[in-house]
Amino acid sequence: MAGDLDEIRAFMTESLGCDSDIDPEIDLLETQVLDSFNIVEVAMFIQENFRIELDAEDITRENFARLSGMVALIEKYRAKEEA
Amino acid sequence: MTSPTILRDSAVFEKFASPFKEFGPAGTFYIADRVFRRVSSGVTVHFYELMAQPLADKPLLPPRLGKNVVVREIQRDDPAVGLMGLTDEVLAFRFNQSTVCLGAFKKGTFIGSMWFCIGPYEEDEVRCTFVPQPESSGVFDFGLEVLPQHRLGVGFVALWDGANRYLRDRGYRYSFSRVSRFNLTSRRVHERFGWFCLGRALFVKLKRFQFMVATVAPYLHFSVSTNTRPTIRLRA
Repeated sequence: MAGDLDEIRAFMTESLGCDSDIDPEIDLLETQVLDSFNIVEVAMFIQENFRIELDAEDITRENFARLSGMVALIEKYRAKEEA
Repeated sequence: MTSPTILRDSAVFEKFASPFKEFGPAGTFYIADRVFRRVSSGVTVHFYELMAQPLADKPLLPPRLGKNVVVREIQRDDPAVGLMGLTDEVLAFRFNQSTVCLGAFKKGTFIGSMWFCIGPYEEDEVRCTFVPQPESSGVFDFGLEVLPQHRLGVGFVALWDGANRYLRDRGYRYSFSRVSRFNLTSRRVHERFGWFCLGRALFVKLKRFQFMVATVAPYLHFSVSTNTRPTIRLRA
């Protein structure tokens, strides 16, 4: 889980120019770190990097406003695959 | 404590300085526009960046993320027109030009739209005509809007995906537009789409008077009548 967080952080730092130490609980939409375009970029990164097939319905505030939400989404898909 | 120190430390100074931090020297025009609007002087300042965006020949969205969104042309009598939140006057102004309106629909629900003008575009925020050149390979885009309840999602990117396909199928290679220098979100998003800046234009309006200075021809224009407007030709 910590590894997933670090990988997402690294992507956001390199590709979106974000700070390298984003707090996992910070609301990235309210603080305008993420917007309606780069949130899709993050979703596409998660899809490719973690090899999960996201649906458009997964792009919600609950899943993408915080790093912790993104990690939980990855875990959810992993659990589905293992089941 | 000395007066300059008070000034430097105060919230007032921060408020004054923040436009310059965000916009650089263009912060001057931002402040001017805000001051004029506040005193209701009738003066407005518009500072545009004129952009060209190559139309992508590959999808922006992977198939699964965009699968529930359909992008199609919207005609004047389409029920979706009533959902755009535009006045009859604005709709008539847009449809009466050589425009195409593309709408995005998620599982049949209208979520947003964008407009293109094929040929010269008569801008309505300032008096100016923008002409994509050559007209066979460029259009002028404007009015992209995703409904607030759908902004967090693929709607914006799906609209551009659909627009890219629609326009490339018809032989177009660029979309030109003007973006306010002060709209950082829009500029940031367009950067990611690979736009590049062709020039800048500053308009100052006071009732029927309008003054323009630009980094592209005609460089300077002054009009005292609503019947005269500069023409800016945009070429990638």
